[in-house]
Amino acid sequence: DDKEEGKELLQQWEDDWDDDDVNDDFSLQLRGELENNSEKN
Amino acid sequence: IETAKIFDFEEFPTSDKVTYMYYTGRLEVYNENFIAADQKLTYALMHCNSEHASNLRMILKYLVPVKLSIGILPTMCLLDKYNLAEYTDIVNSLRSGDLRLLRKALNEHEDQFLRTGVYLVLEKLELQVYQRLVKKIHFIQKQRDPGKAHQIKLDLIVKALKWLEVEMDVDEVECIMAILIHKNLMKGYFAHKSKVVVLSKQDPFPKLKGKPVST
Repeated sequence: DDKEEGKELLQQWEDDWDDDDVNDDFSLQLRGELENNSEKN
Repeated sequence: IETAKIFDFEEFPTSDKVTYMYYTGRLEVYNENFIAADQKLTYALMHCNSEHASNLRMILKYLVPVKLSIGILPTMCLLDKYNLAEYTDIVNSLRSGDLRLLRKALNEHEDQFLRTGVYLVLEKLELQVYQRLVKKIHFIQKQRDPGKAHQIKLDLIVKALKWLEVEMDVDEVECIMAILIHKNLMKGYFAHKSKVVVLSKQDPFPKLKGKPVST
């Protein structure tokens, strides 16, 4: 019913999503890029 | 306007209350009162008849940008269920710090975001994405050299941005870092001459967790 649905909708949000994980694709590419650059200098 | 106070809001039919909260919530979005907008649109979402998926979707079109602006992310499941794919890359850019992805998503769905009037709200997410990016650079540095990790060379940020196709010189990056510090998205200070930003050792990247970015 509506109340259950409403509760479910409330659970669909994350307010503490910002973790320290740097092993995702973007971070790995970023690391590669920064390390590459520092070798050149 | 004053006479409205003699009515008890709760006595109105639910559908009217939802409509009222939806429209006044939208007004709060335009006025950039994100806390009030969040409360009103959340009320509308919670009380809306769950069989009316298109109405839920309309509410979410405003609630998602409002939540993002106060640092709260929707799950991908929610975006999928209500066909809100236009927000997928924006959420991903906030998670990753990928500024290029944010700009691409804003560009791709510009017409739609302008029509609903949330473009400016979404554009301001850029600061949160910068915060995330600098935080990632900080962590990457920490893994290599923990002792010096709290000192970030502005050059390094320039390089990361260049990789993301955002052309900025050191002075411009310094300006962005100053804004992050001013808005309490980052804690630290500049060593202006050595072009280094020195991060606070305690909680250098404060989380919003439901509060708007300070103005």
